[in-house]
Amino acid sequence: MLYLILAIIVFAFLVIIILYNSLIRKKNDVENAFASVDVMLKKRYDLIPALVDAVKGYMNYEKDLLKEITELRVRALSDNLTGEERVKIENKIRKDLADILVAVENYPDLKANQNFLKLQGAINETEEQLAASRRAYNAAVTVFNNAVEVFPSNVMASMMKYERKTLFDIPESEKVKPDISPLS
Amino acid sequence: MSRDKDFKEFYESSLKPDLEIIDRERRKVNTRIITIIAFTAVAISLEIILIPSEAEMLKGIIPFLTGFAGLVVTGVVSKDYRKEYKNKIIARISGFLDEKLIYTPGGSVSFQDFLKSEIFPLRCDQFKGEDHFRGKIGRTDIEFSEVTAKHKNTSHNGSNQKDEYITIFKGLFIIADFNKHFKTHTLVLPDTAEKLFGKFGQTLQSVGTGKRKLVRLENPEFEKEFCVYGEDQVEARYILTPSLMERILAYRKKWDSRISLSFCDSKVYIAINMNKNLFETRLFKPLTDYDFIEENLRFLILITEIVEDLNLNTRIWTKD
Repeated sequence: MLYLILAIIVFAFLVIIILYNSLIRKKNDVENAFASVDVMLKKRYDLIPALVDAVKGYMNYEKDLLKEITELRVRALSDNLTGEERVKIENKIRKDLADILVAVENYPDLKANQNFLKLQGAINETEEQLAASRRAYNAAVTVFNNAVEVFPSNVMASMMKYERKTLFDIPESEKVKPDISPLS
Repeated sequence: MSRDKDFKEFYESSLKPDLEIIDRERRKVNTRIITIIAFTAVAISLEIILIPSEAEMLKGIIPFLTGFAGLVVTGVVSKDYRKEYKNKIIARISGFLDEKLIYTPGGSVSFQDFLKSEIFPLRCDQFKGEDHFRGKIGRTDIEFSEVTAKHKNTSHNGSNQKDEYITIFKGLFIIADFNKHFKTHTLVLPDTAEKLFGKFGQTLQSVGTGKRKLVRLENPEFEKEFCVYGEDQVEARYILTPSLMERILAYRKKWDSRISLSFCDSKVYIAINMNKNLFETRLFKPLTDYDFIEENLRFLILITEIVEDLNLNTRIWTKD
């Protein structure tokens, strides 16, 4: 009888350790993924001044747009922002960047400029890396949220005061399906 | 379609005269082969009748060796004919599709590249390839060939050692330049576990393969068909954008075959399992059959379309 009780205690102890470690690992994965989003955002901030410099000599009608994106970058880099404010600013920066790249179509000289083309490539790359890191963050959060809500790990999670985390909104433009009609 | 019309003209004016010459050769080879088969059959029958039944070993070995010799001679007799067909016909069909596509009948993608893809976990002990094509489609370098890779399995039964070769891959192996730079290795493999065991299969996959971890993507159809392993969760998603996932799914449907992809060294390696031996001639039917010849072009188009299908010519990132 004593052995049985001991076995149950050992088993329960093992389950607790496994659940605890697995929750910690999942939380760390989420933090890690969030850090990679941050890295990509910084890359984006670094590219904005270079972009503004490259296009301001050509663009006459988009001065306000260039001014706005420069201001948004300064605000995004300031520390006293709430999460929600930051998301709004990021969304606005993304939209402005896209608008600038569309406006380039009206300036053939700029479109032919090799330095600008390289910069455009770097921006496209960073935007796609940013999208990828957001998706990686969402995947990590989904795994974490499942663990927080599913029995028995939810019991441990509530003891550790872990709560559901919010997913990033993936912009519609990143969900667009490619036109693969020639394949069918 | 204009390409179909053009090919019909090309066939009539350029290929058909040569096909008629090669077809005459085919008939000669055909007669020789039938004669060899007949002789081999007679020899085997005589051996079975004449070898005394006490010599059990010989009764088994000699007819077997005779059959094997017959097979080898058949191969030798038809070798030149097969070579001529490939050099004169397949090479020109390849040139018709794209002048820059270089065809080497005896060539193959390199064994090193095959290994580098790391698509197949079993050690490869025998590697054979043929029908190699190399060229540039738009801005994308591409090469492909047929490949057969085997693994040697050695079993010991007492003091006896028995070697058995297991086919790990037979089909088409394509290597194309990818349009983005990346540093880590990502594998997209057919999802056998999830198809067989559902959710439990997902758990099985999460074990991962060494340094690579399972990458769960948000496209449910893609997740059902493929299982992705990557060294870097973000980079795997940077490569496998929602758009590329849709394109890979469509490409798989087009081939209706088992397809594995490996992204490494800023290249994509694609292994398409296939039992059919492509770009081969035939012995017992005339070669001057338009559909038979056109099938080669259709296969070449299907293979090279990978560049368009996966959008590899789009270079809006930093890679030229």
